[in-house]
Amino acid sequence: MSAPHPVYRSLIRLYPRSFRGHYGDELVEHFADMVTDRGARAAWTRTAVDLLVTVPRYRLESIMNERHSATTLNIAISLLVGGGIVSMLIGIYPGLVLVVAALAIAFAQRSTLARAIRIPNSDLRLRRLGVAGVLTLVFVVSYLTYSLLIGDHWTIRESLLAGVGTLAMAGAIVFLIAGLLTPRGPVDRPVTPIG
Amino acid sequence: MALTEGESHGYAIMQAVESSSAGIVRMGPATLYGTLKRLVDDGLAEELAHRPVPDDDKRRRYYRLTGLGQRVCAAEAERLGRLLRITRSNLRPGLA
Repeated sequence: MSAPHPVYRSLIRLYPRSFRGHYGDELVEHFADMVTDRGARAAWTRTAVDLLVTVPRYRLESIMNERHSATTLNIAISLLVGGGIVSMLIGIYPGLVLVVAALAIAFAQRSTLARAIRIPNSDLRLRRLGVAGVLTLVFVVSYLTYSLLIGDHWTIRESLLAGVGTLAMAGAIVFLIAGLLTPRGPVDRPVTPIG
Repeated sequence: MALTEGESHGYAIMQAVESSSAGIVRMGPATLYGTLKRLVDDGLAEELAHRPVPDDDKRRRYYRLTGLGQRVCAAEAERLGRLLRITRSNLRPGLA
């Protein structure tokens, strides 16, 4: 019925995947109808303005809606956990409050985190829990080595071990939370590719 | 508002918007489908599972207002009407 309009079809790829996946074919059909009814020049004039306005807007909305909020939450949780563990390692035990706060945020915002980590992959939960396990092991090994090596003076080697152990522990907690919040079964996210 | 007349596809909605606004509101394709997506996400409109015109292009989807969408539309029209009445009643004589 309508011409393929490869240029406009290519430009649609500028939109977020979910939007173009659902509406891509309709957009092209709509554009083809405009070309038929009003001519290519009028169709392109309106569509060019539309692209300039909507591409950055929908991209921004897409980032803000899911990934951005989840990334910000992940960073906040990681910083709180890291800060809490560092505080406890240097003897400031109220640092435990930061770890508890991180866990509270994670569970209070689990729907936001869960939305972002619901990637259609049934193995993801196990992989995340596996990474948490490996990082916990790294933490334990670092801590034991650190305990054996620590002397009267704080050396670079001990600093490195403490640093690795802290990062491993923080990562383990974040991956553990992410793993526990990941759905057990496969999650379908229908995306119809265009072109 | 363009959907209050019944089920319609995207291009027809765009034409109805232009026609009912006397050409003042001109929507581009992505603006229109972005708006439809928001309406559907908010439960105000829905995509039809069936195709009212069987011979129509398969890529076309048809949309209609939900019951909630109709109530929201009526409430919004009422709100805008009240706002207009208040504005007019508070205008200086000679400006109304």
